[in-house]
Amino acid sequence: MLNKYLFVAFSALWLLFFIYAWSLSRRQARLQNELEELKSKQGVRSQESDVANQK
Amino acid sequence: MGKTLPTVHLLVTLAWMLLAFWMIFLYAPQELTMGEVQRIFYIHAPLGWVAGTAYTIVFISSVTYLSKRSPLADDLAHASGEVGFIFCSSLLFTGPLWAKPVWGIWWTWDPRLTLTFVLWLLFVSYLMLRSYVASPGRAATLAAVVGIIGYVDVPIDYMAIRWWRTQHPQPVIAGGEGSGLDPRIFLTFMVCVGAFHCLFSYLLAQRFRLARARREVSALRRSLAPRSSED
Repeated sequence: MLNKYLFVAFSALWLLFFIYAWSLSRRQARLQNELEELKSKQGVRSQESDVANQK
Repeated sequence: MGKTLPTVHLLVTLAWMLLAFWMIFLYAPQELTMGEVQRIFYIHAPLGWVAGTAYTIVFISSVTYLSKRSPLADDLAHASGEVGFIFCSSLLFTGPLWAKPVWGIWWTWDPRLTLTFVLWLLFVSYLMLRSYVASPGRAATLAAVVGIIGYVDVPIDYMAIRWWRTQHPQPVIAGGEGSGLDPRIFLTFMVCVGAFHCLFSYLLAQRFRLARARREVSALRRSLAPRSSED
């Protein structure tokens, strides 16, 4: 039978790493969305200023 | 190309970890005096090595940041500080789980344990400084100073079990006369050290990408801000 200390050490360690990797990917996805939103805003702004310059 | 390298890195890490697991439970022989619980050694000691590597990266990146004011170095230091904190916390968690059945106590304030706890506190203060100082430039400079001054703990922590008689086991690798490991235990240990460094480098790369993306978002926000106030 697996020693209880060994079991706790291994399972808690992998749980911690899994949670950390998951939080990293969530933060990455959130930033990616924000980045795309800001880039599209920037695109709209530059189009607006082009139109204003033409007028 | 952008996603190929991280995917390959992740697959290599997973394969290496599986090999390490197989070796820990099926290849390495059972230690005679401690029995099954000694297998915690294969994760506990490599976690310590990785924590030392992480703080060394913080130190080198902090020196680079202060001398060249390179944002890349600052991002690398921050990323290594955060991932190193995870590894150092795991080190402090697995240590007592090995100590209790072997020593009969969870913790003792011997030099090795105390210095490792100080290392953990250094990671915590490094990250707290980065979170609580409002100005990003000032936070980076102060954190770099902590990263450099705190590094003095790493070599002393490494040497603690060589300089003093401690409750913590004496070194079994590079420990001088009388130290050493069974070849199968040594091989398993080295595979585990490699696997944990591979996992660390993967998480570090991901955290570094996050820091770069955050910097890009801040720059874009700043470039849009003056016009937003006119809306």
